Amino acid sequence: MTQRNTSLARRMAQALVACAVAVSMAFCVGVALAPAGAQALTTNKATARPNEQGGDGVIGGENTRLTWEGTVDAGEQVESITLSLPEGASFDGSTTRITVLEGLNRVSVDGTATPAGDTLKVSFATPIPEGSLLRLEVTDMKFPEAGGDYAVGGSYVNQAGQTEALNDSPTVSVIANTPLQRVVTWLDGQAWVSAWNSNAFLGMFLKPQLIVTSLATLFPGWLLCLLIVIVAYPFAIALGLAFAFMKMSRHKPVRAIAIVYINVLRGTPLFLQIYIAFFGLPMLGVNINNTILGIVVMAINSSAYLAEIFRAGIESIPVGQYEAAASLGMNRSQTMVSIILPQTVRRVIPTVTSDFIMSYKDTSLLSSVGVMELMMFAKNLTTVSGNITPYMAAAIFYLIVTLPLSKVVGNIEKRLAHAEKGTGPRPKTTGEATENA
Amino acid sequence: MKKNARLAVVVACAMTALLAVAGLAGCSGSSTGSSASSSASTSSYTLVNAGKLTVESDLAYPPLESVNAQTSKPEGFTVDMLSAICSKMGIELNYLPAQKFDNIIPSIKQGGKADVGASSFTITDARKQEIDFTDSYMDSNQGIVTKADSSATTADALNVEGMKIAVQSGTTGEEWVQENLPKATCVPLDDTIGAMNGCEAGQYNAVVADLPVMSYMCKNSYTDLKVAKEIPTGEQYGIVVSKDNPGLTAAINKALQEIKADGTMDSLEKKWFGQTL
Repeated sequence: MTQRNTSLARRMAQALVACAVAVSMAFCVGVALAPAGAQALTTNKATARPNEQGGDGVIGGENTRLTWEGTVDAGEQVESITLSLPEGASFDGSTTRITVLEGLNRVSVDGTATPAGDTLKVSFATPIPEGSLLRLEVTDMKFPEAGGDYAVGGSYVNQAGQTEALNDSPTVSVIANTPLQRVVTWLDGQAWVSAWNSNAFLGMFLKPQLIVTSLATLFPGWLLCLLIVIVAYPFAIALGLAFAFMKMSRHKPVRAIAIVYINVLRGTPLFLQIYIAFFGLPMLGVNINNTILGIVVMAINSSAYLAEIFRAGIESIPVGQYEAAASLGMNRSQTMVSIILPQTVRRVIPTVTSDFIMSYKDTSLLSSVGVMELMMFAKNLTTVSGNITPYMAAAIFYLIVTLPLSKVVGNIEKRLAHAEKGTGPRPKTTGEATENA
Repeated sequence: MKKNARLAVVVACAMTALLAVAGLAGCSGSSTGSSASSSASTSSYTLVNAGKLTVESDLAYPPLESVNAQTSKPEGFTVDMLSAICSKMGIELNYLPAQKFDNIIPSIKQGGKADVGASSFTITDARKQEIDFTDSYMDSNQGIVTKADSSATTADALNVEGMKIAVQSGTTGEEWVQENLPKATCVPLDDTIGAMNGCEAGQYNAVVADLPVMSYMCKNSYTDLKVAKEIPTGEQYGIVVSKDNPGLTAAINKALQEIKADGTMDSLEKKWFGQTL
């Protein structure tokens, strides 16, 4: 209670400071001030609900909800109240909920709210009794588009019919409108958008407004996905190649290590490996940055698959190639580097690509351990909006990479196949004839 | 030319699939349920399962709605109240397994799964744009819960950088924290029980949720937590019904009036809160 009294006292002091403003405001409303009227309806607070998509700011020019609270002092009753905001704000199209409380108990009071531009007049069917708390929740009002700190002022009419000025509320910080929000607002107003959204399926899975905000909100997550997989993959290839050679080694212990490594990693779900790395390591006191740890886990997981792909690729090269190299006097490593591996690359490109695509998609599993990647953003936005569209936007982001990649690799493969089969440009028959001669 | 033809086939297939799914979704939204002409009510309404009022709730909000630990059946004030309403309407009460709170309104709006959502939903104008509410059945306020020995118990003390306030995702408590404690970090969780556990374990500095539930939990299960501050918000709970089903809203309102008039409501309030409200 003392807490409340001191805060009341502080607000009374604020009221004095704001007196000049309040007086001028009262004149704006166009009513005579009662002489030296004691403040009998004290403004407690004014807050606005954050309306920034995927953020916690209050954006001007967009619908938000203003909550205004005031206490009716002893000996006073309030017949009606007018809230006013600086020019540019709009109460038009808003709805108002009136709550009157005595302590924690609700007092039933009806009223009508009449919005008019930057003012809102609320008339009560029965006067608000003394000592009670009045709360007005104005849904779908707008703050000025320019942004800034705004105080709610206005006036009220007491039981004697006198109009008194309200002291200014603490200010509400409003940020300026963003282009993204403007697009969303524009979409809100389109008839085809409402028609589209009225279909239960389209409205839930492909809501245009949410597609726009999702694409913008998910973008950093997409970049992180790309970063993780692009950084991880070279390491995965190097590790994979190393383990492929180890598995083909002549020494049994080396082979055993490679076999265990490959089989354990391929035999357990990536999800489990992520959990072990992200929850196990911190318990050992090893604290690595989440993104780096994500890259490490992805690289290690991929390397096991790549090792098998490379081994199969290398073993698929006919023995004749080794013999031919040997007959030219090449040693084993020379044979490997200049004869076998170049041919292997050609053969493994399709499988390595599908593994790359798989790894890229598997970064989504990192969302479960708090890496702020694509799925994490999509999940958060879905929780906030109660709509599935952010997931569809995430699908678009995955496909942007995977579809062109499949296409490009298809082309490379075709070209390599041509080169291998020798269907590329060949010497003309005449040239061949001279060569033979 | 050949390539274009192939592309056309692929596009056609994709469109067909999309339309088929859309069609299915549309069907499930409109054709389910039957007109309850047998009901005592004159207004007609549709039900997802004929003769049953199918209810979605998060069932983690004692004493309003929760799952009984022994019987695994839903129990609480809202459950008893709905059961009384159903018997007035001449239909059965059927609770679905617990749902995530913030999925209930989208699910009711989508339709096809349940008839009503009853999870202590405060009637707000923003929610009213999505779905219909029945008349209010109970008044409520918000409460801040902290550890019993905590010193940061006021709104001012909690509105500090680094403070973690746990809330249930999608609730008016979450809105209150975002609006009134902008400097603190608001942590939205799936249910209030998780928030209370986290606060007890010291992960969060406070929990903000509906006062009746907070008082009950602090008294009965979380004895080292306390209601540090009561926030008068004067919220009113309503039952969530789809906008496509105004007959059901009217029928529930009528039954609600009846159980208020015949004293059933008072006895339920006594049973669950120890007093009439």
